[in-house]
Amino acid sequence: MSHRWGMAIDLDRCTGCEACVAACHAENNLPLSNPEEAAKGRAVHWIRVEHYYEGEFPDIKVKHRPVLCQHCDEAPCEPVCPVYATYQNPEGINVQVYNRCVGTFYCANNCPYTVRSFNFFPPEWPEPLQMAHNPDVAIRMGGVMEKCSFCIQRVKRAEGEGANPQPACVQGCPAEAMVFGDLNDPESKVAKLAKSGRATRLLEELGTKPKVFYLEKTS
Amino acid sequence: MERRNFFKILSATSAAVVGTACGTTSASNELIPLLVPEGQIVPGEEQWHPAVCGECAAGCGTLVRVMEGRRVIDTKDGPARERLAAVKKIEGNPMDLVSGGRLCARGQAVVQALYHPDRLRGPQKRSGDAGQFTTMSWEDAVTQASGAIGKAAATDPSSIVFLTGSLTGTRSVAIEKFLAAIKAPPPVVCALDAHPIERAAAERVFGWKGLPHYDLAKASYVLSVGADFLGGWTSPVYYARQFGEFRRGRTTMRGAFAHAESRLSLTAAAADRWLPIKPGTEPQLLQAVGALVIRKRGNANPLPAAVAEAFTKVDPAALLGMCGLKQQRVQEVVDALLEAPAPLIIGGASITHTNSVDAVVLSHWLNMLVGGVALVKETPVVLAPISSHRAGEALAKAKVLLIDGANPAYTLPGAAKALASIETIISFSPFLDDAAVWADWILPDHHYLESETVVAPAVAAGPSLTVSTSFVRPLYETRAVEQTLADLGAAMSLDYTRVTAREVAEPLATTELPYSEIARQGGVWQQALTKAKAAAPKPQPLGAALPAFDGDAGQFPLHFQAYLSIQFHDGRGANLPWMQELPDPASSAMWDLPVEIDPATAASMKIVNGDRVSIASQHGSLEASAYVHPGAVPSVLSMAIGQGHSHYTRYASGRGVNPLAILAPTFDATTGAVLTGATRVRLTRVGTGQLTQYSPKDTEHREHTER
Amino acid sequence: MATAPELLPYGQIREDLFRPLGGVSRRYVLTLVAAMSVVLLGAFAWFTQLRDGMGVTGLQRPVFWGFYIVNFVFWIGISHAGTLISAILRLTDAGWRKPITRAAEAITVFALMIGGLFPIIHLGRAWFFYWLVPYPNERLLWPNFRSPLLWDLMAIMTYVTGSVLYLYLPLIPDMAQLAEHATLWRRRVYSILSLGWTGSDREWHALERAMKLMAGMILGIAISVHTIVSWDFAMAIAPMWHSTIFGPYFVVGAIFSGLAALLIVMALIRSTMHLERYLTWHHFNNLAKLLLLMSLLWTYFTASENLTVWYGNEPDEMAVFGARTRGAFAPYFWAMVILNFCVPFVLLGVKKFRNITTSVIASVCVLAGMWLERYLITVPTLSFPRLTTATSFHYAPTWVELAITAATFAGMVMLYLIFAKLFPIIAVWEFKPHEEEE
Ligand SMILES: Nc1nc2c(c(=O)[nH]1)N[C@H]1C(S)=C(S)[C@@H](COP(=O)(O)OP(=O)(O)OC[C@H]3O[C@@H](n4cnc5c(=O)[nH]c(N)nc54)[C@H](O)[C@@H]3O)O[C@H]1N2
Ligand SMILES: Nc1nc2c(c(=O)[nH]1)N[C@H]1C(S)=C(S)[C@@H](COP(=O)(O)OP(=O)(O)OC[C@H]3O[C@@H](n4cnc5c(=O)[nH]c(N)nc54)[C@H](O)[C@@H]3O)O[C@H]1N2
Ligand code: SF4
Ligand code: SF4
Ligand code: SF4
Ligand code: SF4
Ligand code: SF4
Repeated sequence: MSHRWGMAIDLDRCTGCEACVAACHAENNLPLSNPEEAAKGRAVHWIRVEHYYEGEFPDIKVKHRPVLCQHCDEAPCEPVCPVYATYQNPEGINVQVYNRCVGTFYCANNCPYTVRSFNFFPPEWPEPLQMAHNPDVAIRMGGVMEKCSFCIQRVKRAEGEGANPQPACVQGCPAEAMVFGDLNDPESKVAKLAKSGRATRLLEELGTKPKVFYLEKTS
Repeated sequence: MERRNFFKILSATSAAVVGTACGTTSASNELIPLLVPEGQIVPGEEQWHPAVCGECAAGCGTLVRVMEGRRVIDTKDGPARERLAAVKKIEGNPMDLVSGGRLCARGQAVVQALYHPDRLRGPQKRSGDAGQFTTMSWEDAVTQASGAIGKAAATDPSSIVFLTGSLTGTRSVAIEKFLAAIKAPPPVVCALDAHPIERAAAERVFGWKGLPHYDLAKASYVLSVGADFLGGWTSPVYYARQFGEFRRGRTTMRGAFAHAESRLSLTAAAADRWLPIKPGTEPQLLQAVGALVIRKRGNANPLPAAVAEAFTKVDPAALLGMCGLKQQRVQEVVDALLEAPAPLIIGGASITHTNSVDAVVLSHWLNMLVGGVALVKETPVVLAPISSHRAGEALAKAKVLLIDGANPAYTLPGAAKALASIETIISFSPFLDDAAVWADWILPDHHYLESETVVAPAVAAGPSLTVSTSFVRPLYETRAVEQTLADLGAAMSLDYTRVTAREVAEPLATTELPYSEIARQGGVWQQALTKAKAAAPKPQPLGAALPAFDGDAGQFPLHFQAYLSIQFHDGRGANLPWMQELPDPASSAMWDLPVEIDPATAASMKIVNGDRVSIASQHGSLEASAYVHPGAVPSVLSMAIGQGHSHYTRYASGRGVNPLAILAPTFDATTGAVLTGATRVRLTRVGTGQLTQYSPKDTEHREHTER
Repeated sequence: MATAPELLPYGQIREDLFRPLGGVSRRYVLTLVAAMSVVLLGAFAWFTQLRDGMGVTGLQRPVFWGFYIVNFVFWIGISHAGTLISAILRLTDAGWRKPITRAAEAITVFALMIGGLFPIIHLGRAWFFYWLVPYPNERLLWPNFRSPLLWDLMAIMTYVTGSVLYLYLPLIPDMAQLAEHATLWRRRVYSILSLGWTGSDREWHALERAMKLMAGMILGIAISVHTIVSWDFAMAIAPMWHSTIFGPYFVVGAIFSGLAALLIVMALIRSTMHLERYLTWHHFNNLAKLLLLMSLLWTYFTASENLTVWYGNEPDEMAVFGARTRGAFAPYFWAMVILNFCVPFVLLGVKKFRNITTSVIASVCVLAGMWLERYLITVPTLSFPRLTTATSFHYAPTWVELAITAATFAGMVMLYLIFAKLFPIIAVWEFKPHEEEE
């Protein structure tokens, strides 16, 4: 049976330190924004850490929730793309074919998690910043949609070496709050965590069947 | 470690490392040719090399992915494409017990400093007023700079001041030896993350030289006071890992903890119970907790009488009133501490006050009272850290100032004026930053990934040294400070030779683990705590002073706290575009940092999110965006440190404001540390504005899973 | 009662209707040049967007659809005026339709040409728009037929061909007549275009049957097109988009805005081409009553859409509903209600007020109101995503979007002016008494 990659994020461990956000930038050649573009809401982050506040001071409770593409099994972003630029590959990863995308934005409008970002301008890196580009990851051109790919290049490389793949954010997280693995393998840590009592899924009621399981703080 | 067969790969390249490492250090100013020869770089093949992260004193061990890279260089007949080994990514070194294979956000972004477009490419000489420079050759730079130092060393060596960063390793040893050779006073640490207060407290209570290592993962209930160990404290990645274990690492139990701080930091957010104390009342809280513990338990042992007084002769209710806490909540914490099988008290000064040393000292004694002292050990001192932190005083009497790994113009309140009047300033900064712009000569340092360094991590369970062999060729005409000091020494004919990593790592090298092996695995980390001194407290009467603040309460009614930010730390990370666009954990702001205001104060002055506000202290004023922080302590303003650089590459120059600039230039009496929370301010609304936030959180909370 | 034009002798009719074709007045040239310059400005704006990237617009995450999609729905909506009105009136053989049909069909074709451009203008990489077309190719790459955008493409392509045919067929007899009197290049063009029409009985019979068939088909296509356009929103699961009412709601909105456009155009050609005797108050009165009916229908659909959302009280939906009715978009929402319901209701409902000028005023208000309605459907929903922390900053159009929007209106004026110079705006042959052979 083929792999079905998924992720579990333990919100009891996550401290909201955003090392995962930096790791994703370092791994996937994300485009640099600048103050003007960021002010127009065009900074590109494939993973963001949401901070929710409940209650009033002084009994205020904070919840950090890292949100990335959920690689939904019933992804609303897939049927609406007119050119098959986004589809679910046999291993369950919702892939984005950059050179196939024509930029109708429909996939982003239909994604309830708002995790898709667009290249409004062709990205540039002042010399010699491009030296740090990861050769395994395509540099996107202007006018295409992009989003978290579950670090598909690391998954492929690990499969080639017969090792357990670890996306950059999972590898970088200091609190070891993120676990990645094959949901089809009942022995894998992520599969077990997915079945734990604390496991919930984001916007599950929309029927998207996301493959990122959030383990709530209290048991 | 099955993810990468880096031993196999490394063994292939280590032959090259061993072969040349023990060769004599070639006289050429090129570094020891330990570089990855271009021939060995196979397109598409990756190699992982151990290194160390130099972005803060924690000194996390890293693994650096090196692959083929190309850059355009201009040769005599026009631009040419050059093929060389390039750093592609930095991840934690799984063998290092401090990082354990993980890194914080800044650690991940270090590669952008290595390939930063605005790195200085060669020595600069000041040509006119501050900030105007011309390039020069290394030979002239060394002769001129050594001339200036030599002249001062001959006439009045005590007028030579060397301000450096908080890292302990080859750099600190090289600087100490150099200053000793010219009979100048020892170097002074000018950094916000050296934690002199925690060091002074540990020395006063236990006689330790190293920072305390708290074994968080083995505790069952923790009360941390003033130590934002998940944000910017002594070892962010190490304590984050420990926190993960503490919470969900054990199947038998889930660690619980309360955190007392005058700001909703990341640690306060992660705590089960946040005790929002008024600024500077950490000692009063600790005394109250101690008193309640003794009252509940009936005895004060094992505390000696002199010390026990501090906890018995006090009225907890009054103390908690000063802290602004409800007694019932603190009582719950005390009960939990008493019931816990493995209680632990962590004391720190993430935000420093006049009474911070008292607070941390009290926390150690409270720890003994509740029986948590078994979980606290001294970080074994393999390399003696630089002892003096009195940068303010040193700067006042400096005639020749050398700066490396520090930015006094940014981090030291009041320093900008002092720098203007110092005769000769020599900076080793790889970037033209706020301090280097005043320099007469800039002798730019390599990026630390380009040079061979050894770092002693600030906090470690056992004797540890992290080693980084240089594996990429330096990009520009820069030179490691260890080499530059050797050249300056030679020009001044001192008996001072270049300090090498091998020499510094000697203390932990053994026959079965020679230096070459240490270098190959990226360091030596001993788990055994054999060498760590047990806690042998020296009893003495305890102080618990009330905090003193600068500026009278009438004119300046609000408190102001500047805190180390996740993305910029003490401001050094501001030149990294990834960090500039990282949404700030508190306000989710990008490309600027707001001042955090509590909802009540904001409402009273009709300030809404994004408004422009002005904050004025007795020493200056700044204008920033307002962020109405739902969790801010009433009438206490907080602002993350990082923005507001006058000069610091294209990504940081002239962006935002520096909260440290309005702090009172008074320092901690015992240690000389900057007081980041001891300045009162006045807040006025300036007008409307726009704060760029990536995912603003104060909108109505419509979380689905909660319903 | 026979309309006034029937009473005029056929020769007079022909002379009146062919006169505007000859000669070019100063006002005509001035308006044409003005319209063309605005169109050129729009073209330059689009060129800048193609050259620099979508960043020149005000679009952002998560508001990815803005002025372009609003213009797309708006102009496709207006195109429904022609076909539906001329088709229905032709099928019901209402006599009073004669002077209106061609004007309406012309609006349809030009509005479609303008609206049809936007699925290309709004693309991030517009130069690859043909990837949506299912042409056979060696790499066996087919577009995704499950995507509503593909349905759009199909529906609009059919609708364009249908409308062009529906405009072209009735032109043939007139062009044949024009060919006889015209000179130089006009003669050659008209004779080619009139496909050798001789006016024989068999031809008239064939034309009648063809027009009846086309009227039936175009009616079905028009309804399907705007339903599919509404499915671009209804198929997405975004709050206040995912609703079953969108199909009929958009079709009603389309007829409503189409009627308003037709009324305005008729009033303009009536005054500029002095066709007072052909476009009488009778026509305006009927159309005004139709416009009032559509206003009430539109209000019914809008009320039921918002009532169901408000009553259902789902938090995500209410966030968008709140933004529309009370929040940042409230001024536009209430302006829309006034423009689309109150103004037509008062001006056209009260018999005393109803006249040509008031119906034109009402129509202008309706067009503005309907543009706002499409804006209020697209932007608020995207500005308030389900996860609260992914809210937007503030979408505002830039000069590029404004220039292109202005160019659409100027484009319609330009096309209409050219058309009115080449062909009679009112079908002459409709007034021809059949038994009398020329
Ligand atoms: N170093 C090296 N270079 C090589 C080769 C090699 O082995 N080594 N191989 C050579 C060979 S054999 C070949 S065939 C070439 C292949 O070279 P290319 O033809 O450039 O191959 P690709 O880049 O994979 O894709 C071609 C382009 O098709 C576009 N595309 C994707 N979908 C569509 C579509 O539906 N319609 C259209 N019109 N375009 C689409 C993509 O945007 C992409 O830019 O490379 C040659 N170059
Ligand atoms: N994933 C992926 N698959 C692709 C493509 C792609 O872009 N991506 N491109 C497709 C295209 S366009 C093409 S043309 C094909 C090309 O695919 P192939 O025909 O496989 O071309 P290569 O893989 O470049 O080289 C084929 C083999 O020939 C060997 N070889 C080299 N020189 C000689 C020689 O002198 N004599 C002999 N006998 N062998 C030699 C090489 O070592 C190599 O193993 O791949 C197709 N498949
Ligand atoms: S790196 Fe880990 S702990 Fe930090 S925000 Fe991301 S998931 Fe949470
Ligand atoms: S999270 Fe969004 S982008 Fe990712 S698969 Fe689901 S719908 Fe698609
Ligand atoms: S933006 Fe790209 S991926 Fe998304 S729907 Fe359009 S073509 Fe497909
Ligand atoms: S899985 Fe990879 S691409 Fe996705 S957020 Fe994590 S680092 Fe980024
Ligand atoms: S805590 Fe972060 S910045 Fe400091 S050494 Fe470790 S990875 Fe580097």
